[in-house]
Amino acid sequence: METWKEFDQNVITHSAAHHLMAIDDLVGRLGYARVSDIARRLNITRGSVSISLQPLKKAGLVQQDENRHLRLTAAGQALVDAIKTKRHLMQRLLTEVLGVAPAQAEIDACKLEHLVSNETAQRLLSFLRFLDGDPARVRELVSAWRAADPTCAGEPAACPSCETECLAARLERPVSQGNRP
Amino acid sequence: MSTLSNDELIQELNRLFAEEVEAALRYLHLSNAVRGLEHVLVEPVLKKAFRETLEHAEVIARKIRALGAVPQLNVNLALDPVPVDGKQALEMALTFEEAALEAYQDCFRRVEGDIALEEFIRSQIVVESEHVAELKHLLVE
Repeated sequence: METWKEFDQNVITHSAAHHLMAIDDLVGRLGYARVSDIARRLNITRGSVSISLQPLKKAGLVQQDENRHLRLTAAGQALVDAIKTKRHLMQRLLTEVLGVAPAQAEIDACKLEHLVSNETAQRLLSFLRFLDGDPARVRELVSAWRAADPTCAGEPAACPSCETECLAARLERPVSQGNRP
Repeated sequence: MSTLSNDELIQELNRLFAEEVEAALRYLHLSNAVRGLEHVLVEPVLKKAFRETLEHAEVIARKIRALGAVPQLNVNLALDPVPVDGKQALEMALTFEEAALEAYQDCFRRVEGDIALEEFIRSQIVVESEHVAELKHLLVE
């Protein structure tokens, strides 16, 4: 399958991930989760929540009892646990290693958490474990990198990281809202 | 008197306003998505629900104005061009109505003590309960 189509084949959407995590959080805090509670939590209408929950119920990720209380099935809970783990790992990588500001790291981790494969998350966990094994050495390495913060100084041909043009320059170009697909 | 402040009451009503407007848009879309022979029977049911839901939104907007505020609308909706058969359409309509009923029941608990609002929401609960019952009746095999 072409890689870009993988995005559409993802088990759950970004919205579905947030519905599942809202149920998990509400059940953890209140002992129950109703459509109203999820709507307030996600700041959307109850109608939207009800519609969004239908495919999750059909997929066997969420169950509703006779009191209309929602809970995650074992499969739903496993999915939420995996998403939360990926978010945690991504946040650690972004803040502790790359030095991204915590607020931005939280936003980016939230966008990626349900898209990253379990295989990639396993490798990331292994990498973080490796770093945790020698924190002093890691701090030294990260500090050295942050202090240097290398650029290609306008000569991408001589830069081992850039291609025919400077990659940093590509990222700095403004993206017009009108050009979004 | 309700324990909610005027601002909190307005916030509650804004939530209901968004529920009704969103449901109206969903009904409008759904009524045009029904395919097959059943659309002859189902479309009028959905069109009627669309008009009633919009009327409910208007009543709520007037309540918000009466409390001295301008209605706030926050609806985020993207509806796919997917055809549905009559039964699927009625099942979706039942989902909208059950969500609306739950919204009013939830609001009723929160505005308890505010006689005028209580009465209004009580009457809406009656209406929405009837809609739910009607749709369930239509969906009986």
